[in-house]
Amino acid sequence: MKKSNFLLLGLALVSIIGLTSCKEEAKEEIVLKWPCIWVGEDSKAPAVATLVEQFNADNAGSIKVEIEAQPDYDGYEQKIRTSVAAGIVPDIFTMKLNPTTKAYYESDLLMDFTKELDMGWGKDFNEGTVAQATVNGMVKSLPYEVAITPVWYNMDLLKKAGVSTYPKTYADFMDAAAKLKAAGTIPTSQMTGGSNAWTSMLWYSHFVASIGGKDVYNNLFEGDAYVKAAEVLLAMYSDGNTSMDAIGGDAGVSGGHFLAGETAMFINGPWYIGRVRGDAPEVYAATEVGPAPAAGSHSGAQIGFLQTNFAAAANAENPAKAAAAVQFVKWMTKAENVAEISKQAGSLFAVKYDSSTIDDPLQKKFIEASNNASFTVPHLAGVVPADVVSEFGQALGKMALGEATPAEFVEMLKKVNDQ
Amino acid sequence: MKNKNIKMILLFLVPVAFLYTCFFIYPLGFVLSTSMMKWNGISAMKFVGIDNYKKLLTNETFQLSVKNNIIWALSGGFIQIPLASMVALILARKPKGWRMLRTIYFLPNIISAVAIAMMWKAIYNPMYGFLNAFLNIIGVEGHNWLGEIGTALPSIIAQQVLYIGYFMIIILAATTTIPKSFYEAADIDGCSILQQEWYITLPMIRGILVTTMTLAMAYGMRHFEATFLMTNGGPAHSTSVMGLILYHKMDAFRLGEANATGTILIFLGTVVIVLIRTLLSRRDAGADSVQ
Repeated sequence: MKKSNFLLLGLALVSIIGLTSCKEEAKEEIVLKWPCIWVGEDSKAPAVATLVEQFNADNAGSIKVEIEAQPDYDGYEQKIRTSVAAGIVPDIFTMKLNPTTKAYYESDLLMDFTKELDMGWGKDFNEGTVAQATVNGMVKSLPYEVAITPVWYNMDLLKKAGVSTYPKTYADFMDAAAKLKAAGTIPTSQMTGGSNAWTSMLWYSHFVASIGGKDVYNNLFEGDAYVKAAEVLLAMYSDGNTSMDAIGGDAGVSGGHFLAGETAMFINGPWYIGRVRGDAPEVYAATEVGPAPAAGSHSGAQIGFLQTNFAAAANAENPAKAAAAVQFVKWMTKAENVAEISKQAGSLFAVKYDSSTIDDPLQKKFIEASNNASFTVPHLAGVVPADVVSEFGQALGKMALGEATPAEFVEMLKKVNDQ
Repeated sequence: MKNKNIKMILLFLVPVAFLYTCFFIYPLGFVLSTSMMKWNGISAMKFVGIDNYKKLLTNETFQLSVKNNIIWALSGGFIQIPLASMVALILARKPKGWRMLRTIYFLPNIISAVAIAMMWKAIYNPMYGFLNAFLNIIGVEGHNWLGEIGTALPSIIAQQVLYIGYFMIIILAATTTIPKSFYEAADIDGCSILQQEWYITLPMIRGILVTTMTLAMAYGMRHFEATFLMTNGGPAHSTSVMGLILYHKMDAFRLGEANATGTILIFLGTVVIVLIRTLLSRRDAGADSVQ
């Protein structure tokens, strides 16, 4: 064989092998791993699973989203924090944006959605929500689930105790609490446990807003509002106004008492609607939602916030994977898909969708409560660093056990916040 | 021959030494160096000297956590090990059903710590828990065991020190190495069972007792799971331990302070181990042969 023929043959072989491998590469399915909290007992689990299945079917052979079940909410956040700190970012994940997790934005490993949003996607979101998720001009987490956390009133229990409407003022609340106790009902669900004393932290946020107004977080832990709100919260832990296991109790305790019809007032977000509807239909039917009793001069306020944001790995070395992640998040934020999750789970979203199809009465009450709010402020855990959030339950326990005054309670939080 | 031996020694030691360096020496060095940094794990580190240590050592919650860890260590060493020894000595006499009892005592060791903690949390629940229900039956008023400062720590420790199976098995194994003839001779001399245990068994297993005590106390110093799952350090930090502080510091992205906590934890753990071995091993070096 001539030398030139040999070279030509070699080149042809290389080209064939090259083209074959390119073809194989192009065919290779992109697998996106999604550690997901919307699994198991979570009210969004069935709808999310269906949407993922649909997406995988529509993109069969090119993109596949694999859900990694993470049913423990606190554990999930910890996992994400550890992963980001270790420089490993899941392909897709969800996060709660707060002063601590804003540090994620410093990482190059997270995808910045700004360009995609500017190209028209941004119009799909409710006004102001993208701005809330913007840090230093970057949108490294997309606003997805939003929430208000009004007070849930079990009207059957209130009426049985001789209270016809839910309490609007602090005086009304004390009066209702006395009647409820006389009727053998525990007035409120509270908790100092869990990672953030969730229910009690929300009660406190309501009172702080009611006393300090919409700008109350401008001077964190300064002024009377924080101490006065602590006094009101302490009253809720006193004289049998909450259950015996509230000190040390977690979300299972506070939610469990409400579901069991043992407490008349409770706070949580709309994601809990599905749980109440399924596990306690009588309580579900009897529930009204509204603002907390006004502890100060600002009545009718609601606690509203970005509950969960979508985030993704930048995957700079693999643009196809990055594009696939964007495609999936766009799928999840499509109006009709969001409407479906909202309908099934009761959750509210930052994406514009047709909520007129919502037929769940309690969910409608949530939307009404949101529309009727005199103003909306975030909850305390959304505006302070993580160590203040974990200190809240400890300081509250100390105050509820009579080991600290309301002023000392606020001082404990301030001290950690100033670190 | 000598060269061959050296080669063999190196062959066996190098892989282990390599792994030990990768997974212990390097992380330890990293923890030590970053304990003097202000670092959130994402942005650049900033050297702050001993500021993180100062901050921790002057913090009341941290001081309380060190105290609680010492209580945990002492409970492990002076409650759990005596209990385990007592049961092991009884089972060593092979009473009827001893094999079943041995299995029952060891069983909790194969159950997840999370499941056990959740079970005890339910037992201690002040409204529906088994403990208060039982107390009510016998006319004693119930208590919020995990929700009150005075009872929370003893409640968690109590449920933990009851699980003696792991140490019991080690001690039980040690008793089997004691020659039967010692007991036969003591029997002929008219020694009671208690005297036999006191003068023969305990001195003969002294080395193992020191080892198990050291282990139990070391576990106490690094205790985390049950407290995290049952009280998360509450109420009012009364059950907090150093491991929990470390966890919360990591949770808040204060990795420099977290690593300073880890360094103090390692230091105090080492002090406890050295102390207990020095105090208890000195008097009877010969007993080590039983180990």
